[in-house]
Amino acid sequence: MKFLTTNFVKCAIKTCDSSLEAFPLQYSECELVQEEQEFNPEFICHMLDRLDWQAVIKVAKDLGNTSLPPNKPEDIDPIMEDSQAILRDLHTLLVETRIVEGKMICRNCEHIYYIKNSIPNFLLPPHLC
Amino acid sequence: MLPTPTVRSLDEKVYDPAEDSFLLLDCFEQDQGYLLEKFPPPHTIPLVVEIGAGSGIVTTFVKQNILKDGIYIATDLNPHACKAVLETAEENRVDDEKLESCQMDLTNGIKNKHVDVLIFNPPYVPADEVPAVPETDDDESWLDLALCGGPQGMDVTWKVLHGLETTLSKNGLAYILFCARNNPMDVKRDMEQLGWKVDKIIERKAGWEVLSILRFQKT
Ligand SMILES: C[S@@+](CC[C@H](N)C(=O)[O-])C[C@H]1O[C@@H](n2cnc3c(N)ncnc32)[C@H](O)[C@@H]1O
Ligand SMILES: [Zn+2]
Repeated sequence: MKFLTTNFVKCAIKTCDSSLEAFPLQYSECELVQEEQEFNPEFICHMLDRLDWQAVIKVAKDLGNTSLPPNKPEDIDPIMEDSQAILRDLHTLLVETRIVEGKMICRNCEHIYYIKNSIPNFLLPPHLC
Repeated sequence: MLPTPTVRSLDEKVYDPAEDSFLLLDCFEQDQGYLLEKFPPPHTIPLVVEIGAGSGIVTTFVKQNILKDGIYIATDLNPHACKAVLETAEENRVDDEKLESCQMDLTNGIKNKHVDVLIFNPPYVPADEVPAVPETDDDESWLDLALCGGPQGMDVTWKVLHGLETTLSKNGLAYILFCARNNPMDVKRDMEQLGWKVDKIIERKAGWEVLSILRFQKT
């Protein structure tokens, strides 16, 4: 599962939807791989618009990265050099970082979801469906 | 005609692409102009979600040809399908960096109100009941989940339709496939009464079935 996806997934239990704790999930015991992918500054720049930055920071911290700025980078222009550096770092984090194995834990209900062979599993046992 | 993705011989527990899958490909080819207008690249990056992606043929096709700049999440209950989706993407050299395959019931693990394009070729065949999810990966009955949709073939589809309001983003669209026995025109009417704009995009006779695809959006 790519880092980017952590911004779009949540606990599968409906009653957690109303809790502010339930997103993002907490990532634990994760095995990561870095894979080189084509750098598309424009994609990262527009992607940034729709990201929940506080969730990016939280998940990065779970995975041991505390170097992100506290606020979403603004005025990013893909052709400016200092923007390029920021976008490249984000590309490395969002697109090139993959969680191969690990746990995702809901901070509200404490349910644990597993990632195996890069595929996250959000199925619930029958008594929680 | 856009190229049909290659699907390597699949695990027998995964739904093989069939007439319904191909109708979806044609549907997206036909509706591409509309989609690009709704989500103009490169400024908008739509989140495209396919429920029950099976072999992954539809997601791969849409990513490769229709909305190239989107990010994609494919879901399926069937773990063999979840693997097949990644294999089909790779086979067609669709870089999997913006395509996620998740084992998930419908869209239950996806953030509410974020899906821009929802795609679903559901288990639409009328059958006594929707089968229970098998307990082990090597169970022989995974494929039953691809087909059996309850008495009118609508049990799973109605769950998705009733959840659309929570699933879709403000500008979101849902493309859902029906067979004639699902009474799609009744569904259209009922959903319109609930405040949805519903358009029939494509319809085709396939053997003894008549298949059609409806597009739903909030008015
Ligand atoms: C008719 S097949 C379609 C497969 C593929 N999308 C295609 O068009 O060739 C239906 C798929 O939905 C999956 N499915 C059934 N119920 C589901 C649910 N509740 N959540 C997610 N996937 C489901 C099945 O496992 C199967 O892969
Ligand atoms: Zn929860």
